[in-house]
Amino acid sequence: MRPLPNFTMYRPAAVTEALQMIKEFDEAKVIAGGTDLLLVLRDRTCKAKNLVDLSLIKELSHIRQNAGKICIGATTTLNMLQQSDLIRQKAPALAEAAGCVGSAQIRNLGTLGGNLCNASPAADTAPPLLALDAEVEIASHNQLRRMPLDELFAGPKLNSLKPFELLTEINFPVPPRGAGTSFQKLGRRKGYTLSLVNASAYLQLNRETCHIARLALGAVGSTPLRMVEAEKILRDKEVSAQLIKDAASVCTYLVSPVTDVRASAEYRREMSCVLMRRALTEAWERARRSL
Amino acid sequence: MKVTFSLNKRSVDCEVSPNKLLLDLLRNDLGVRSVKKGCEQGECGVCTVLLDGVPVNSCLVLAQRLEGRNVTTVEGLVEDGLMRKLQSAFMEDGAIQCGFCTPGMLLSAYALLRENLQPTEDQVKTAIEGNLCRCTGYVKIIEAILDASRRLQVE
Repeated sequence: MRPLPNFTMYRPAAVTEALQMIKEFDEAKVIAGGTDLLLVLRDRTCKAKNLVDLSLIKELSHIRQNAGKICIGATTTLNMLQQSDLIRQKAPALAEAAGCVGSAQIRNLGTLGGNLCNASPAADTAPPLLALDAEVEIASHNQLRRMPLDELFAGPKLNSLKPFELLTEINFPVPPRGAGTSFQKLGRRKGYTLSLVNASAYLQLNRETCHIARLALGAVGSTPLRMVEAEKILRDKEVSAQLIKDAASVCTYLVSPVTDVRASAEYRREMSCVLMRRALTEAWERARRSL
Repeated sequence: MKVTFSLNKRSVDCEVSPNKLLLDLLRNDLGVRSVKKGCEQGECGVCTVLLDGVPVNSCLVLAQRLEGRNVTTVEGLVEDGLMRKLQSAFMEDGAIQCGFCTPGMLLSAYALLRENLQPTEDQVKTAIEGNLCRCTGYVKIIEAILDASRRLQVE
């Protein structure tokens, strides 16, 4: 196989130092886990003269609860996320999704920030984070800004970061009592597979009534998608198997999948409804248990 | 540039170019041939090593990032009780066919059993989901890992 191209790698110990480097260096790319980047560098679909390695920056790797939010540093590995007691307890859908990315070997290298910035429409961590109403924190040499996660996704494999910006943190409100989450994935097989479709649901109950519903699907559009119209069907209604079926069915009309080597657009469209029904059913069960 | 890291508990200093991968460093420069070169894109798992105790694909790790870290291959575990149990179970249960995937399989199984001495069959399957066996001898491999786990519990 072709060797990697030549580049220079820098290893900053702090975010400020990294920001200075990506601003100053010509054709600079940041490298976190490297599980996606090294492949595109090797096949020359991505060019970089300089790599800025984030792996020594301790402040970027953390999972903590702070002021009603769960905050996850951008270079937190997918394995740390899957194993985190806090995430498993408060947002099990996210832990489960992280556990579905790649293989054990990949999850030990790959990071949450990398999975999101890589901006694959099929990224497994995206739907649960959209359903959890996550926002991302983006740093540059002169400012720190926050935006909703969906604004990070600009198209297939395209994120909205400017060349001198760095994703530093992902955070979302701690789900309260009465909230439940679920993540569902369909691949060609169970282990180590890309999602043909993935789905996540967040349901917050007020007794039997749906107070808040946030739904998201992946691999059925140019970016991971929120299903806002389907959410409206659930809001302020008494949740039932029929209501879940109605909301999930609407997803069929909200997605815009493509046909590729893995599945046809028609199949993805049908499965969007099936996976969303499963996600809502599990989120409902979990929400009732936490009431 | 120079990196210093621990390979199988021995300190190693070497000069590496920026685009050198851990896989090539091990095989070509340090003579560690149990680590195989397969797909070179993190799919097949034959290049698996333990990096600070956890399995990773050495084809996806730049050698420069090794500074101060610990790399373990099967060569470093020949005296290890858990690895010896796994090796005997693999041999006795017919879990080795051509042998190409075996070092990677053993390291993934080792990492699992060290965390969880009584894994379920599903947990075993998840632990080796990143290790392909092109002889397709998965059934025997899964049996051998479960067998090793039983043998360790008896002790």
